[in-house]
Amino acid sequence: MESVGMDWAAIRTVVWTLIKILALVVPLMLGVAYLTYAERKIIGWMQVRIGPNRVGFQGLLQPIADAVKLLMKEIIIPSGASRGLFILGPILAIAPALAAWAVIPFTDSLVLANINAGLLYVMAITSMGVYGVIIAGWASNSKYAFLGAMRSAAQIVSYEIAMGFALVGVLMAAQSLNLSDIVHGQSGGLHHWYIWPLFPLFVVYLISGVAETNRAPFDVAEGESEIVAGFHVEYSGMAFAVFFLAEYANMILIAALTTLMFLGGWLSPVTFLPDGIVWWLLKTGFVLFLFLWFRATFPRYRYDQIMRLGWKVFIPITLVWIIVVGGMMQTPYGYLFH
Amino acid sequence: MTYTTAIFYFFASILVFAGLRVITARNPVHAALYLVLAFFTAAGLWMLLEAEFLAITLVLVYVGAVMVLFLFVVMMLDINLEKLREGFWDYLPLAGFVAVLLVIEMALILGSRHFGLEVMGAPAPHAADYSNTKELGRVLYTEYVYAFELAAVILLVAIVAAIALTLRRRKDSKYIDPAEQVKVKRNDRLRIVKMQATQKPGAGEDGA
Amino acid sequence: MISLSHYLVLGGILFAISVLGIFLNRKNVIILLMAIELMLLAVNMNFIAFSHYLGDIHGQIFVFFILTVAAAESAIGLAILVVLFRNLHTINVDDLDHLKG
Repeated sequence: MESVGMDWAAIRTVVWTLIKILALVVPLMLGVAYLTYAERKIIGWMQVRIGPNRVGFQGLLQPIADAVKLLMKEIIIPSGASRGLFILGPILAIAPALAAWAVIPFTDSLVLANINAGLLYVMAITSMGVYGVIIAGWASNSKYAFLGAMRSAAQIVSYEIAMGFALVGVLMAAQSLNLSDIVHGQSGGLHHWYIWPLFPLFVVYLISGVAETNRAPFDVAEGESEIVAGFHVEYSGMAFAVFFLAEYANMILIAALTTLMFLGGWLSPVTFLPDGIVWWLLKTGFVLFLFLWFRATFPRYRYDQIMRLGWKVFIPITLVWIIVVGGMMQTPYGYLFH
Repeated sequence: MTYTTAIFYFFASILVFAGLRVITARNPVHAALYLVLAFFTAAGLWMLLEAEFLAITLVLVYVGAVMVLFLFVVMMLDINLEKLREGFWDYLPLAGFVAVLLVIEMALILGSRHFGLEVMGAPAPHAADYSNTKELGRVLYTEYVYAFELAAVILLVAIVAAIALTLRRRKDSKYIDPAEQVKVKRNDRLRIVKMQATQKPGAGEDGA
Repeated sequence: MISLSHYLVLGGILFAISVLGIFLNRKNVIILLMAIELMLLAVNMNFIAFSHYLGDIHGQIFVFFILTVAAAESAIGLAILVVLFRNLHTINVDDLDHLKG
């Protein structure tokens, strides 16, 4: 242990962890790429169009072509921009989106780090995602970008509160902060999932998740018809692509968390079928489909209406339901809530 | 040098550097961002001290909320930076002297003679199933329950005060109440009129 | 091995830095608020270090309360700052002399 060079055990741990991280990030990035494809196809079908169908069979190579195109484009740094921060923006956007995946369990054994305070960790890491947006908007030295950043910062901070309260309900029901324990608390079939006793919290969490990821109908931070493209208006090429990746990685993360906390994670809905990662993927895919469906259906909210929804509707709902859950747990019907 | 020692020195040097930049940065936005870095690094050090809950709370509350508020305010204010930095270099010699003296004095007291490993050994690491959150909660909700309630009241007062201070109804812009707008029903805006269909005299006779 | 005094000295250095910051940026209220936050961080560092090395969780409870009060303090401080800027269009401490007799 005296010299760093001889500490083989530590080196092996580091290398092994790096391999595990790669094994997580590569499929995630592929998932992000094909989520964009799915988005274009599904919204296309909803609007009676075909969607991308030229590159490869049924357009399946489209995301790869897009990625290559963005890689080859020049990254333009505006002359009035704050150089260092301009580059830091996209990095700070994607880092939390990836780091949060460290504690997400896929099955009983398939998890990178099964830590005690997993839920808290996810909340803390995702709360840092706002910095990418703020820094990008400020460093661009552009009015549109700055407006987008300010909108986004206020929106994300507001909806984080409702989201946090929704999670408080979950941890009251599960009596644990560990994500695997939360899933195990829902074992025993469809009717044991937390979506039923915590239904208002589920709805609030899902909608706040859409707002938190700046997706339509809450995409006022980008709002291409109002402020051009908001915080990333000055970004091009790979720097833009990183923001894009971060947004979709965050979407998958929110979907995965919804699955774990309200829909029973990898547990099968009926007892005669085995549990497995297949269920996890199916449920997450379904929640992601909801995200795309929202985008195709709803017109964009106006900004003051968004703030009203967050502060005057969602936060009171979650507070009331936390009290209901806490009160019910003291009655003989408490078993319904955990 | 063990792994933990290396991590400690790594984090500590970043923390001191970030702290120095907070007070010397020319632009308050940069200062705020360095303060974010300082908080994040401090959270890493608290992890080393096995205080997971507080480390995560520091990131959640400070990095995720308080510093966003700071950045928000700093970015919105249009201030004359040059005027605010007047006298920076004049004060530096005296202030630097005081600060160095402060560090030396504290280092003499806090050095390894009184608080070294021989005097106060490192505690054994906790078992893997030890939950810092649970222990903290147990003490917080029993021994310190009144203090905890008081803290909640303080936060409530802070919320009310912050809103009361900054809320203003602007006279120079038209204000619309989104709640009222959202609540609007069809019948408030639209009146369906039923009336007898009548034929214009002369129409429909020749059809052309 | 890292001893308690390592953490205490680190806390001391941070505290001295924030004192230095208050000296140097006497005119800028925002930096003053940030220096206070840094000072509280230094204090919290000591509390947690003692809590760890003494095996006593009560130190962490104090940090919990300090975090609460500090968050409240910075929220109100920033609110006052915003109102100040709205009325006087400056945050220079030298200009805040309307109350002198």
